[in-house]
Amino acid sequence: MTVTTLTHHAAGRSGQPSARTMAITGFGLLSGLGVGPEPLASAVRAGRSTPTDTSEMFTDPLPRPDAYALTDFRVRDHLGRKGTSFFDRSTALGMVAARDALVDSDLVVDDTTRTRVGITLGTTHGSVKSTSDYSRDTFVQPRPYLVNPLLFPNAVMNCAAGQAAIWFGLKGPNATIAGGALATLSALRYARNLIGCGYADALLVGSVEEYSPHAAWALAYAQRTWGGTLPVGEGAGVFVLEDAAAVRASRRHLDAEVLAVEVGSFDPPGPPGDFTAGFTRCVSRALARAGVAPDAVRAVATGANGMTALDEAEEAAVTAVVGADAPRLRVKEVTGEGFSVSPSLALGALLARHRAEPGRDGEVSLVTTRSADGAAGVMVVRGWSRARRDHG
Amino acid sequence: MRRVVITGLGPVSSIGIGAGAYSAALKAGASGVAPIKSFETTGFPYYYAGEVTEFAPEKLVRRLTLADWGRTSLFAAAAARLAVQDAGVDPGGLAGERAGSCMGTTGGESQVLEQLTGRALEAGFDGLEPRLVRQVSSARLSLAVNRELGFTGDAVTLSTACSASNYALGYAYDLIRADDADYMVAGGADSVGRWSHAGFYRLGALTESACSPFDRDRSGIITGEGGAALFLESLDSARARGARIYAEVLGYGLNCDANHMVAPDAASIAACMRLAHRNAGVEPAQVDYICAHGTGTQANDLVEASAVAEVFGAQSPPISSTKSMLGHTMGAASGLGAIASALGIAESFLPPTINFANPDPALPPIDPIPNVARSAEVRVAQVNGFAFGGNNAIVMLGSVT
Repeated sequence: MTVTTLTHHAAGRSGQPSARTMAITGFGLLSGLGVGPEPLASAVRAGRSTPTDTSEMFTDPLPRPDAYALTDFRVRDHLGRKGTSFFDRSTALGMVAARDALVDSDLVVDDTTRTRVGITLGTTHGSVKSTSDYSRDTFVQPRPYLVNPLLFPNAVMNCAAGQAAIWFGLKGPNATIAGGALATLSALRYARNLIGCGYADALLVGSVEEYSPHAAWALAYAQRTWGGTLPVGEGAGVFVLEDAAAVRASRRHLDAEVLAVEVGSFDPPGPPGDFTAGFTRCVSRALARAGVAPDAVRAVATGANGMTALDEAEEAAVTAVVGADAPRLRVKEVTGEGFSVSPSLALGALLARHRAEPGRDGEVSLVTTRSADGAAGVMVVRGWSRARRDHG
Repeated sequence: MRRVVITGLGPVSSIGIGAGAYSAALKAGASGVAPIKSFETTGFPYYYAGEVTEFAPEKLVRRLTLADWGRTSLFAAAAARLAVQDAGVDPGGLAGERAGSCMGTTGGESQVLEQLTGRALEAGFDGLEPRLVRQVSSARLSLAVNRELGFTGDAVTLSTACSASNYALGYAYDLIRADDADYMVAGGADSVGRWSHAGFYRLGALTESACSPFDRDRSGIITGEGGAALFLESLDSARARGARIYAEVLGYGLNCDANHMVAPDAASIAACMRLAHRNAGVEPAQVDYICAHGTGTQANDLVEASAVAEVFGAQSPPISSTKSMLGHTMGAASGLGAIASALGIAESFLPPTINFANPDPALPPIDPIPNVARSAEVRVAQVNGFAFGGNNAIVMLGSVT
C-alpha cells in the first residue's frame, strides 16, 4: 500500500524547526472538482471553476440545483466492491483520501510499524445524512425500531476513522474530532501532541465532508443569517503527519513542515470586536511559535466565503499581523463551502502548488479559518516540490 | 513534564448532579434508570433509559443564552460550571488562551438533528427552525464550555464514540503536562434519542429495564445520557492555591482494534491496558480498582473480563460498572467513570455493580463489587473506555502523595 522510494533530504533548507515541528510526507485529496489534487490546483491557478448539476443525486428537495460535488463518485471504482457496499459517502471519501495519502507517502506500514500508525480525522457531525436517515426511519418505518443494524456504525461520527483503521491495518491511536471549520486544525494539533508525546510515530490527519441535502440546507440557512452565495462543496483531505526531525534523520523527503497551528475560541464575530482581537492574537502567536517573520509569509489561504462579518473579521486579523501584500487564496470560491474539509482543501491546494512549482521551495504560507460560533485558527506551513526527490 | 491533577468534578447524571450528590448515589448503589420521557416511545419494545430528568440548565449555566444551545451542549456547559465551582476557582481569573476545554461525545447534538429530521418530514427542509439548524454542529459542545467559562484556548470535541471522554481527559492531561495549557476542563456529554435507542435495539444490544454487567444473565445495555466535566491543572498550581486534590492523572493509553466496527477484541484491549500502565508508570499489581467499560452485553463483558485476566492474571483488582446505575451514557460514560474513580480515590470507596445476582461461570474470576459499595483505599484506579470503531482509551488515576 505504500511506495518505498526512500529519498534523501535536500540539504541547505533554512529555518530551525522547533522541538515539535511536524512534517507532511504525502497527501491524498478529493474535492468536488475531482479526485486527486490536480483538478483543485488548476482551478485555484485559474481562479475559477464551475459547480456541477446535483439535482439528480438525491430524491430530497435541494435549496439549489448545483454544488461542488463528485456526482459520479463510486467507492467501488477506487477500492473495489468487497467490503465497501455499506460505506456511507463520508466514509468512502475519507477512505480514498487515506489510501491516496499512503500511496503518495513513503511511510512504510507493516506488521512492525502498524501499532505506531494511527488516524485523526476532522468532521462537523460525521455523515449527517446517515444519522438523520436513522432518525427518519424511527419516524417512518412501520415500527420505530426497524432501522438497519448494519448501518448503525455509519450513524456514529467515528465511522470513517474506524473503517480506515480496519482497511489499512492501522492499530495506533484512532481519533475523530468534531470541530466544523476548526476540525482540520484541531486534528493537526491533536496529532502533533500524539506524536510529540510518543503515542504514535505517524498519523493520517485530515478531514472529510460529504455532499448531501442536509449539508446544502445547512449552508442555505447559514447564508440567510450571514450572507454569501457560494454553493456547498464536499471532499476529503488526508495528510501523512510525522515528526520532522525523525523524517530528516532518516533522509526521507518532506512535502511540508507544519511550523505552527494556533486556535482560539471567542464570542462570535461582530461587535464589539473581541473576535477579531482574539483571531489577531492567534495569528501573532502562530508566527512567533513558527519563528517566521510576518513579511516572510508568501500566501494566505483564507476561509473567505462571502459571509461578510466573518470574512471581514478574518481579513482584519490577517492584515493586522502580516499586512495586505501576501496574496490571498480564496479556495472556497472554487471548491464551495466545505465546512470541516475546507482547510484541508486549502492546505492541499498549497501543497499541490508547491509540487508543481519548484521555484516556491521553502516558501511559507498560512491557512486561516473561522466559524460563526466564534472559533478561529491559523496554520503556518512551509512547502517544497519533489523536484529534488530523485537526486538528493 | 508537569504533574497534572484533578481538582474539580462536575457530574450531571441521572443519579445525581454535582460531586456531592453523585458520590452519595454511587455509595448508595442508586439507579437512574426509568421509563423514557424525552421522546415518544410508542412502538419501541423497550422503553427504559437513564435520563437526567432533574436537569435544569437555567439553574447551573450563567453565561450562555439557553435557547441558543442544544441539550448536549448544555450538559457540557453545566458540567463544566459545576467542575470549576467544585474546584473553588473563579473562571474569570483563568480566562485566556491558557485555559480551554476538551469534551467527548458519541452523538453530539444528534437529538437536535433528530428534531430537525422529524420537522422536515412535516414541513420540508425549507420549513426548519433556523435556531435549531445552527445547533447541529458537535463542535459546539466544547465551545459551549469555553463560552460559559470565558476560556479562549482550545475547544476540542472528540467524537470517538463511547470512549470519547477518556480521549478528552488524556488530551487535556497532555496539554497541561507539556505546558501547552494551564487549565483544562475535560469530560464528555451525550443525550438519549430515538436513533441510538433503535440502533442498539436492532443490534440486539439493548436490555429491557435493568443493566446487569458481569452477571450470568446479563442481556444488554440501557441507553443513558448526561454530562461529565473534570477540572485539571498542574500539581504546582493546585498546591499553590491550596486546592483540594481528588486525584492525579497518571497517564493513558490509546489503540485501535483495526478489526471490526462493533465487536470488541480482547487482545487489543489487553494491549491498550498495558500501554496505559506503561505510560502511567504503574504495574498491574498496583491497580486497586478498575472502573469497567462494563456495558452489560454478553460479548462486551466477556471480552473485557478476559482482557483483565490476561493482563492481571489471577489477582485482578475489583472491577465495577457504573453503567449498572447510569445506563450507557455514551460519550459521557468514561468521564462519569473517571469522576466515580476520582471520588473513590479521594473518599476511599469502590462504587458497586448493581443489579448483580449470579456470577457468570463463563467469565474469568472477577470481583464485580456486587450491589453494595465498599470501603477501600484506592491508590491507583484504571478507567476503561471502549467504542465502536475499535477506539480503545484507558486512563489511569492515582492518589497524590
